[in-house]
Amino acid sequence: MTQAALYPLGRAARRALAASWLHPLNDTPAVDELLGAINPMWSLNDIRARVVEVILETHDTRTFVLAPNRRWPGFQAGQHVALEVEIDGVRHHRTYSLSAAPGGRRLALTVKHQPGGRVSSWLHQRVRIGDVLKLSAPAGDFVLPEPLPSRLLMLGAGSGVTPLMSMLRTLRARNYGGEIVFLHSCRQPADAIFGSELKALAAAWPALRLVMHYSQEQGRLDRTALQRLLPADLSGCHGLLCGPHGFMDLVNAWWHERGAPGALQQESFSGPVLHAVAPAGASSEVRCVRSERVFTAAGQPLLVEAESAGLRPKHGCRIGICHSCQCRKLSGTVENLLTGAVSSAPDETIQLCISAARSDLTLDL
Amino acid sequence: MTPRKQLSREQVAAFQAEIDAVRNEVKADLGERDVAHIRRVIRIARGSAVAGRSLLMFGFGPASWLLGVTALANAKILENMEIGHNVMHGQYDWTNDPALASQTYEWDNVCDAEQWRHSHNFMHHSYTNIVGKDRDVGYGILRMSDKQPWNPYHLFQPVSNLLLALLFEWGVGLHDVEFERVFAGKVSREQFAERMRPFLRKARKQMVKDYLLFPALALWNWPRVLAGNVAANLIRNVWAYAIIFCGHFPEGAETFTEEETRDETRGDWYLRQITGSANLEGGPLFHIMSGHLSHQIEHHLFPDLPAHRYAEVAPRVRAICEKYGVRYNTGGFWKQYFSVMRSVFRHALPSRAPQPALA
Ligand SMILES: Cc1cc2nc3c(=O)[nH]c(=O)nc-3n(C[C@H](O)[C@H](O)[C@H](O)COP(=O)(O)OP(=O)(O)OC[C@H]3O[C@@H](n4cnc5c(N)ncnc54)[C@H](O)[C@@H]3O)c2cc1C
Ligand code: FES
Repeated sequence: MTQAALYPLGRAARRALAASWLHPLNDTPAVDELLGAINPMWSLNDIRARVVEVILETHDTRTFVLAPNRRWPGFQAGQHVALEVEIDGVRHHRTYSLSAAPGGRRLALTVKHQPGGRVSSWLHQRVRIGDVLKLSAPAGDFVLPEPLPSRLLMLGAGSGVTPLMSMLRTLRARNYGGEIVFLHSCRQPADAIFGSELKALAAAWPALRLVMHYSQEQGRLDRTALQRLLPADLSGCHGLLCGPHGFMDLVNAWWHERGAPGALQQESFSGPVLHAVAPAGASSEVRCVRSERVFTAAGQPLLVEAESAGLRPKHGCRIGICHSCQCRKLSGTVENLLTGAVSSAPDETIQLCISAARSDLTLDL
Repeated sequence: MTPRKQLSREQVAAFQAEIDAVRNEVKADLGERDVAHIRRVIRIARGSAVAGRSLLMFGFGPASWLLGVTALANAKILENMEIGHNVMHGQYDWTNDPALASQTYEWDNVCDAEQWRHSHNFMHHSYTNIVGKDRDVGYGILRMSDKQPWNPYHLFQPVSNLLLALLFEWGVGLHDVEFERVFAGKVSREQFAERMRPFLRKARKQMVKDYLLFPALALWNWPRVLAGNVAANLIRNVWAYAIIFCGHFPEGAETFTEEETRDETRGDWYLRQITGSANLEGGPLFHIMSGHLSHQIEHHLFPDLPAHRYAEVAPRVRAICEKYGVRYNTGGFWKQYFSVMRSVFRHALPSRAPQPALA
């Protein structure tokens, strides 16, 4: 492939183009845009990936198989990426776990369509084979422990099976000889993401014991059901847990009831609506990640609340004109005091002087 | 008399609600169209800069030099006015695109972007035309209002005005250093050094780029490139100066005392923005080349709405003004420009009417 032959040359050129000391001769965003116009996969710094296949996993879940460009650094099973999409002029970032095993030339994201969800809806409705998506480098410490323990208990519900699936595929490729119990919980067989693949894997691989739980047929998953479905003896078991909040709370409670037989590693896919929107003026907790401070805010503008908590956010006009007080809201719901608009979008820019907390918040302050 | 005194409190509140409605409507409609517009202008500005610099560097003969200067001046004007000024106002912050983020954008002139955000976005846009608070009233150099006290050095202001036009980017760059407060001894030596540092850093960067690096790259052709870069910067300076002066200083644009603006509501603030600003009439190209500051009134009402929307909302703003009997100052470029010049000359001499002492 010509692209491969040109690679060493390309790398040197890329280094030069990305070198900051060469500015203004190499205006990086301008060069990047030019490269992108020639080939959407080309970029000096961005990880971009072409959609090469779309697999319909269930009625509401699709796997996007991706071929990344050279900026992709590789990953560990269980890690996730932030996907950046632009919808009607606005860029959104959402986190998705990588569902394929590492090592191959392809990546996979398995996305469940959330009704009313902005990014998952867009991915399902708009993304076609050949489209190019922008990803962050992989991150996360929800990965297989090293060395591998002799017994693994994997518990997934809904789209929470995606990182577990990547781990399971890795274990299979490494010919893991221990014992795996894999619990997959969902509403009904039609909702089981990777259902048939899991069954085929369990049939061919004695190390894997698959436990499927369908709440519609078998009733809500609770502690007695867990007790019944999972092995009585959990000694030496390493737990790996991922799913919606309710499921994770349940498993945690049950695990501790069992005397916490081993480590229970977990990852939450928490969504923004999990913060209930509070009435105006109710007090909320604001976590500031940069200054590592926490303060309580009531109905006052966040700038005022932060100042009375002893923080000194940058500001100017205090009436919403100058944008000096701009801050990234990482999660939670705020009200714009000028327009009355209430917004829960994760990862958005707000003006502290005209925003009030309407739920617990996390700010990049 | 200012409209704040003409209108009843209820009328001001109703006026505020109508202007708010215009703003909220545009806010709710922001999307693809706005991003497409600004990215297109960015592409044109970049293309124009590359074309201009190449013509200056590799061309020969006066025609290609003139063309190169025009293209480079065009790039600088677009970058400073339609892109830089507007992006730094936060007009595109809602896009979450780091290339369009107000707080990190840096522009192609000697003014440090962070100092600009302070002196312009905050000071000028909050305290618009309040004599003694808005330092853009005459830029601390010119006397543009009867409310400013007269000083003998104002006699020279036709000349200082000309110098300001030619060196406009330097005036803007040094604006946040607040020299008049330095001379008045209100700023300590340390504070002064502190304020000079970002300016000097940025000015050095610009000087190296336009007057050292690019000429040097042209080898023996360096005088041509150097002269071209000087000319392009001059053209941008004069153009930016003319547009900005026409935005606030034609006769009829009001200035205010601090007393008059005490306890303002947002409605009062809107009224001050409208009566303190003046529009320029022209076609779409003229509006883009002015960074839409030709819609100074709409810009002052909605500084953080994408500027290419101003033309769309202007008829509604004007109608609302007519309804409440608020003066909407608009005119062609030359009419407004001559009006500004008359004001420069007139205020060089002391005012006849007794003027209020300045705090
Ligand atoms: C570490 C991590 C890994 C993850 N991995 C995966 C993965 O592998 N696969 C996967 O599918 N997801 C995964 N997620 C979740 C994912 O990041 C998104 O949160 C999810 O796709 C929803 O995003 P969205 O933009 O579609 O919904 P958003 O627009 O963010 O909305 C979130 C929720 O609010 C609801 N909502 C939004 N607007 C409305 C409205 N107007 N009315 C009613 N309800 C509304 C939606 O139904 C949705 O459930 C992961 C999350 C994390 C933190
Ligand atoms: S302080 Fe000026 S917008 Fe918030």
